Amino acid sequence: MFKWTEQIAELERRRAESLQLGGADRIAHKHSKGQKTIRERIDLLTTSFSEIGGLARFPEFDASGNKVGSLPSSYVCGLGEVDGRPVAVGGEDFTVGAGAPQLYLDRMKGGLGGFVEDLAHEYRIPLMLFCEGVGGDVGGIDIHGHAYLVSSISWGRSIQLLSEVPVIVGILGAAAGGTAGRAVLSHFTVASKGSVMFAGGPPLVRRALGRDITKEELGAAEMHTSVSGGIDNLAEDEEDAIEQMKRFLSYMPQNVWEMPPEGPREDPIDRRDEDLLTIIPENRRRPYKMRKIIEMVCDKGSVFEIGPNWGRALITCLARVDGIPVGVLANNPMHLAGALDGPAAEKQVRFIDICRTFHLPIVYFVDVPGFMVGPDAERGNVVRKGMRAIQALYEAEVPVISVHVRKCYGMAAQATAIMDRLGMRVAWPSAEWGDMPVEGGVEAAFRREIEAAEDPEAFRAEAERRLLEASSPWKTAEAFGIEDIIDPRETREVVARFLRPAFASLRSRLGEPTPWRMRP
Amino acid sequence: MTIITAPVTGNVWKIEVSVGDQVNEEDELIILESMKMEIPVEAEVAGKVVKLLCSEGDSVSEGDPLVELEA
Repeated sequence: MFKWTEQIAELERRRAESLQLGGADRIAHKHSKGQKTIRERIDLLTTSFSEIGGLARFPEFDASGNKVGSLPSSYVCGLGEVDGRPVAVGGEDFTVGAGAPQLYLDRMKGGLGGFVEDLAHEYRIPLMLFCEGVGGDVGGIDIHGHAYLVSSISWGRSIQLLSEVPVIVGILGAAAGGTAGRAVLSHFTVASKGSVMFAGGPPLVRRALGRDITKEELGAAEMHTSVSGGIDNLAEDEEDAIEQMKRFLSYMPQNVWEMPPEGPREDPIDRRDEDLLTIIPENRRRPYKMRKIIEMVCDKGSVFEIGPNWGRALITCLARVDGIPVGVLANNPMHLAGALDGPAAEKQVRFIDICRTFHLPIVYFVDVPGFMVGPDAERGNVVRKGMRAIQALYEAEVPVISVHVRKCYGMAAQATAIMDRLGMRVAWPSAEWGDMPVEGGVEAAFRREIEAAEDPEAFRAEAERRLLEASSPWKTAEAFGIEDIIDPRETREVVARFLRPAFASLRSRLGEPTPWRMRP
Repeated sequence: MTIITAPVTGNVWKIEVSVGDQVNEEDELIILESMKMEIPVEAEVAGKVVKLLCSEGDSVSEGDPLVELEA
């Protein structure tokens, strides 16, 4: 006869065991490093969590390959609720086999495809992951009795999700190898200070390159968020990282078949910020704080910057205008005078791809002197990367409103507005544009005339004065070569009025952008 | 002690403070010339200028120390 009492007690016992993770010692060790366990992270992220696969176990082997016992499996996942929205949630448990891939199970729970990713795909809900693990592990040979060929495992589901639902990743602790790979196949990555990410850790570097290096020197979150761009944002600590994951989600739709959520319309669209009149210095050589312009034009408190510390010649933010979620791009005159260099171009491609995927209109604040020039820029392949930035905008299929704040020269201009579509461009009276900035351009265009002139310096100055006068935005407006010139204080209202119907038009363009798919 | 570093690679064009000066947050300390632009370097915190770590005309790289402040 079936014994209910015993069976329920057995279920309770097994559930309780799974909550113990890798044991009190390993949990204490994690806490001593200022880190949280995967269950604590999921508790912080979600208001409710329905776990799946909690009964799965991880077999422990000794060095001779004998099974000595078992622990809860190295992955925790399920259906969570975040700010009232259902999301698929998962993460490695680092206290079990350092978050080992679950090749010991019949079915992966997550970490590289698996149940949690199937859940996000099937229910069309966002995927929020904590990536912490060492990727592959020679221990796998013991489990299977043979070495598996890694290409037998597919990234297909993870790649497919990039064009279906928001994929949001927190890197808290160490993400190496396959775990690092999983982390970057996403729309947003945030890492807490002190976390690390790399293709291969210090032992591999020592064997391959004969170099001793700490894991922080190798792949600190601080480096990836400022130099490589492999991680978007840096967080003060784990709580901050989890807040940033939720913040990113707040601008995103549940999936590409739904509209992104509108925020409150509490900030009047006719709010005219007087500081916009004085923010551009009269001295054309003086930069200013572009981020202040973004703050003044967008809804108060709505600006969330993505990747603030890398590709710094370009600023990218999620924000709202009159409640409408938008992707904001802006050249940053404080860095390289705002010139589009390789990293800035890569940043533009990634950000615009996200806007396209999730149907966010784009607002572009333009102050760009051109593609970056010089030997470093050329060695960094600036031309190809710059052209990719142009192609990304061309392919964006979302409304783009460009606001010309100051300079706009050369090919980089074509990375800021696309005339194959509406090409909605407005300019402040401080705007200037052309093939290249007049000062350098005169030298290039009239070199022979300048050399032949009686007074070369006077000839150059006169040519510059004449060309500068002709490059006034008023003359371009007379020729309808710019769609309109506006008072800087009107920017918010003009952008908001055009955004409203632009945003509504996206309803008829919802769905997966096939066959195109963004690359991470 | 706060070290103010160069936000971009360029030349030190103007030093606008002297040792002993009291500065407020966001005060301009130095102007760098980079990409034909005059890039202001501001105090990240209020404090006293303790040491100047560069001279006008110096070439500096991103991250190089420029000014030492004592909060």
